Amino acid sequence: MSENYEVILETKHVTKRFPASGGRELTACSDVNLKFYKGKTLGLIGESGCGKTTFMRFLVRLDTPTEGEILFKGKDLTKLKGKELRQTRQYIQMVFQDPGGSFNPKMKIRDIICEPLLNFGRIKPSEKDAVARKYLEAVELPGDFAGRYPHNMSGGQRQRIAIARAIALEPELIVMDEATCALDVSVQKTIIELVCRLQKEKNIAIGFIAHDLGLIQSFAHQIAVMYLGHIVEVLPGADVDKAKHPYTRALLEAVFDTKMDFSKKIESIDSEIPSALDIPPGCPFQNRCSYCTERCTKEKPVLKTIGEDHEVACHLF
Amino acid sequence: MLELNNLTIAYKDRPVVQGFQMELKQGEIASLVGESGSGKTTVIRAILGLLPGGGRVTEGEILFEGKSLLKNTDKEWNKLRGTDISMIFQDSGAMLNPIRKIGDGFTEYIRIHEKISRQDAWKKGVAMLERMRLSGAENIMESYPFQLSGGMRQRVGIAMAMTYEPKLLLADEPTSALDMTTQAQIIRQMMELRDTYGTSIIMVTHNLGVAAYMSDQIVVMKDGRIEDHGSREHILNESSCAYTKMLLDAVPSVGGERYV
Repeated sequence: MSENYEVILETKHVTKRFPASGGRELTACSDVNLKFYKGKTLGLIGESGCGKTTFMRFLVRLDTPTEGEILFKGKDLTKLKGKELRQTRQYIQMVFQDPGGSFNPKMKIRDIICEPLLNFGRIKPSEKDAVARKYLEAVELPGDFAGRYPHNMSGGQRQRIAIARAIALEPELIVMDEATCALDVSVQKTIIELVCRLQKEKNIAIGFIAHDLGLIQSFAHQIAVMYLGHIVEVLPGADVDKAKHPYTRALLEAVFDTKMDFSKKIESIDSEIPSALDIPPGCPFQNRCSYCTERCTKEKPVLKTIGEDHEVACHLF
Repeated sequence: MLELNNLTIAYKDRPVVQGFQMELKQGEIASLVGESGSGKTTVIRAILGLLPGGGRVTEGEILFEGKSLLKNTDKEWNKLRGTDISMIFQDSGAMLNPIRKIGDGFTEYIRIHEKISRQDAWKKGVAMLERMRLSGAENIMESYPFQLSGGMRQRVGIAMAMTYEPKLLLADEPTSALDMTTQAQIIRQMMELRDTYGTSIIMVTHNLGVAAYMSDQIVVMKDGRIEDHGSREHILNESSCAYTKMLLDAVPSVGGERYV
């Protein structure tokens, strides 16, 4: 993947520390280096509180990292200001987890979809209705929905509106934060199909946050596994069963699907994810890992390439 | 052990569940699956007589060990709830009083059900948490709900529900607010309850993978009606129901269909 595709966004040594009580620091992201390729999906997976949303928020500049660079077409997003930042925003759009919460309840669907276009002067107010219809049809909704309010629609329909709003500016990267986890499985499937179709048509790069490995492997080109702010494994989406890191293996063991062997014992790791306030020195996964050695408690493993497009941060490999 | 006969449940005059029928044996696990709004939660709330405002059973019968639950007086309910039939909710944190310690809530719960001193109730609570393999039980009793993680709170909820070894455990989306690894732990724990205490479980879930792993029988609901019902093997492999197939088809599986 690395040679054949164009990198549109690259993060270099992105680290974020939040101040915490008692003069302590909470490291939400630690030295994250990821590449987003044109027209490809990067799935970021991890447990709640591991820093995946914090990281994705940097890409849309809802927040800035403490250290590191985010290069979008050669420009460092973290240093952009004023007019240049505003102009860059139109190339990177976001879809949130709860579409109900991300819309103004008093705006009609037509205004919601067209707001970004009007903001950047791409259309005239008189064209609003026609444009809204066009994008509604792009997300497989009837054009008449333009006159509705968000509360008149189901969760799946609202999520389609959120996608319509995100694609309206023809962005090059869309960040989706758990965009389907509030939906039923049947609706989730249709949304994923829609996203994949739009991605192929418009060649958009997608950064998708999820906590369900089964879902993410069904449509991501590469998967990055995050644990306590560290990227512990990056692997191609098609080869998720070849995952090597003990944490990724544990996530794989925890997938329940209808085609599994039901007599299988659940081999999930027992303990809870430790607080991000006291990440141990050495490997972040050490106290939950059954292969933990003395080296793991002292030396932090770094990402090593162990196969094509496959990197692991573990002393075992 | 539990029989639901031709149940119709209505809020005000609008029926939301119609013709619901199922039977559960001791030690069996059943799952109600379906999309949101299909009436799954309404059914298990009806079993425990906990239908929210205006909801009531208009037709049919709920028999628990041969006795109808619908004519229970408040006193009879109090005896039954938490002892013979218990419930765990989607987020046990919401059921715990946020300004009181876990231990205070737990001892109050125990003291409602039996005449026992506060100290003994506290000890019983600690013992129960330990039986549910929660490490640092004393510590947990001294904590406030917000100090515990979601998975931990859920385990406290299960421990409270299992205090009197109920014959029937009702679980309303017990894992859907949890992470994958925590979900796996909770599921393993619920399976152990069945194996150790012979508890029957009715679980409401929208996760078909979880339902398939745990259940002996699965009920598929749609718009308040039973769309499909049978043993796990029947539902997964032999069902001819189009809706069931559509739901099963939508579950992403590792090594299954990929869209790219």
